[in-house]
Amino acid sequence: MISFDNVHLRFDTGISLRDLNFDIEKNEFVYLYGPSGSGKTSILKLIYMDLFPNDGQVKVLGHVSTGIKRRDIARIRQRIGMVFQKFRLLSDRDIYSNIALPLEIQGHKSNEIRRKVVHVADELGLHSRLHHFPHELSGGEQQRVALARSTVNSPDIILADEPTAHLDEKASAEVMEWIWKIHAGGTSVLFATHKEHILKQEPARTISIDSGEIIQDRSV
Amino acid sequence: MKLSYIIREGIIGISRSRMPFMNSVFSVTIALVFVGIGILSVDNGLQYIGDLQADYDLEIFLNNESGMKETRQIAAIITEYPGILRVEYLSKEDAAALYNAEFGEDVLSLLDDNPLPSSFRVNFDENHRSIAYIQSFIQSMEFLEGVDEVMFKKDLFDRVQGIMQKVYTIAAAALFLIILSTVFLTANNLRLMILARYEFIEAVRLLGASDFMVKAPFFLEGGILGFLGGIIAVLIIIGLETALDVYQIIDLPIRIMNYPEVILGLILFGISLSALGVLKSVRRMLRFVA
Ligand SMILES: Nc1ncnc2c1ncn2[C@@H]1O[C@H](COP(=O)(O)OP(=O)(O)OP(=O)(O)O)[C@@H](O)[C@H]1O
Ligand SMILES: [Mg+2]
Repeated sequence: MISFDNVHLRFDTGISLRDLNFDIEKNEFVYLYGPSGSGKTSILKLIYMDLFPNDGQVKVLGHVSTGIKRRDIARIRQRIGMVFQKFRLLSDRDIYSNIALPLEIQGHKSNEIRRKVVHVADELGLHSRLHHFPHELSGGEQQRVALARSTVNSPDIILADEPTAHLDEKASAEVMEWIWKIHAGGTSVLFATHKEHILKQEPARTISIDSGEIIQDRSV
Repeated sequence: MKLSYIIREGIIGISRSRMPFMNSVFSVTIALVFVGIGILSVDNGLQYIGDLQADYDLEIFLNNESGMKETRQIAAIITEYPGILRVEYLSKEDAAALYNAEFGEDVLSLLDDNPLPSSFRVNFDENHRSIAYIQSFIQSMEFLEGVDEVMFKKDLFDRVQGIMQKVYTIAAAALFLIILSTVFLTANNLRLMILARYEFIEAVRLLGASDFMVKAPFFLEGGILGFLGGIIAVLIIIGLETALDVYQIIDLPIRIMNYPEVILGLILFGISLSALGVLKSVRRMLRFVA
C-alpha cells in the first residue's frame, strides 16, 4: 500500500531524510519510532503528499507521488485517515461538524453521516462533546476528535502522528484500543511515536529512525 | 450530496467571517455606486446635449402656390425616403400660430394675406443622421416641384454631433478607469477575506477535497457577496436620485428605476466581479497548499 524506494528529502535548512526504504502492506500495523526531530512527521507528509522526495520514489495506493496530479492527491487522501500532530481541527465549527467533514467532502448522505459520526464519537467518549467547539475542549479531547475524524470514513490506511501525546494513561489506552480495533477491521496503520512504552504494550513491527535515517526495521 | 456541502460551506464561510465579508460587500458596493453614477451621468449628459439640438433635423418649406394635391405627393415622397424617423406637417395656419406664439404678434392682423409658407419638419433615425446622407436627401428634395427651400442648420448639427462624440469617448475612458480601479480595490479586499480562511482551505484539502471542492463554496460566497453589493449600490443610487429630486437640485431625465437593464447590469457586474475575484484569490492560495 505504501512503498519508499531510496527516498531522499532535503530541506532548505540543510537537514535531510536519507535513503529511506520500506514497504507497508495491506493490514499491517507499523510503529514509526524515533526521538523528536528525527523525521517522523516528514515521512508521514511524504505519504500524504504534502512533501515530495528530492530523490527516489514514494508510492501510495498505486500512485507514485512524483509528478502526480492534484486531483489524484485528493483521491488518495480520501482513502487515508490522518491524525495530525497539531490536530488541524477547524475552529469555526463544532465537534460534530469537524468529525463529519471528510464524509461531507466525499458526498455521503446526511443520515449516513449522522450515524457514522455518532458511532465514532460514542466509541471515543466524545458523545457529550459533539456540540462544543474545539477551543472548549482539552488537548486530549481535541486529539480524540482528530482521531475520530480520521477514522470516520473507514480509510484504507491510518497515519497517526503522536495520537497519544496529550493523553493520560487511561485515555491513551482507550485511544490505542480504538486504533487496534480499526486495524482489526482491515485498515493498515502507521503510528508515529517517540514513546517507548507504547511499543511495549502492544508490540508490532517497528521502523526506528534517527536523524533522518532508518536505523532499524524490526518485525515481532 | 456534494452540492449540500458547497452550499453549507459557502454559508458557514459568510457567517464565520462576517467582518471581512461585510468589508468586501462594502467595497463592491462602493465600486458599483461609482460605476452606476458614471453610467447615469453619461446618459443624462447625452440626453441634455441632445435636447440642445432642435426638435427636428431639417425643415422643408413649400411654395406658396402649391396646392393640396402637390403637398400630399411631397409628403408621400418624404415618408417613403429611407432613414426617415418622423415627418411633421405644418400648415400655413400652424406657421402663423407659431409666429404668434414666438413674437406675440398676429401676422394676419398686420397683413391681410398670410405670407408664411407651409412646411415639413423631418427627423432622421440614428443610423442615417450623418451630414453626407442628409445632404443627399436635401438635394433630392430641392428638385421636387413645389419645394421652395430646405433649411438645415448644418453648423449646429455638426457641433452637437461633435460634442456627443467627444462626450462618448471621454466617458468611455473615464468609465474604464473607474471600473479598473474598483476591480483592484475589490480584489484586494477579497484577498484579505480569503486570507482569513487559510485554516479551512488547508484542512479540507488535506482531508481529501479536490481543488474544485475547495473553490466552489468560495465561488458561491463571492456570488452572494456581489449580489448584495449590487442591490445595495442600486438602492444607494435611487436614494441619491431621490435626494436630488427632493432638494430640487437638478431634474434628471434618466433615472435608474426606468432602466432595468442598468440595474441588472450592475448586479451582474457585481456578481461576476466578486465571484471571479474570490476564485482568483483562492487559486493563488491553493498554490501554497499541496
Ligand atoms: N518545512 C521544513 N523546513 C525545514 N526543516 C524542516 C521542515 N519540516 C521539518 N524540518 C526539520 O526536519 C527534521 C524532522 O522534522 P519532523 O517534524 O519530521 O520531526 P519529528 O520526528 O516529527 O519530530 P517531533 O517528534 O518533534 O514531532 C527536524 O529537524 C525539522 O527541524
Ligand atoms: Mg512530528
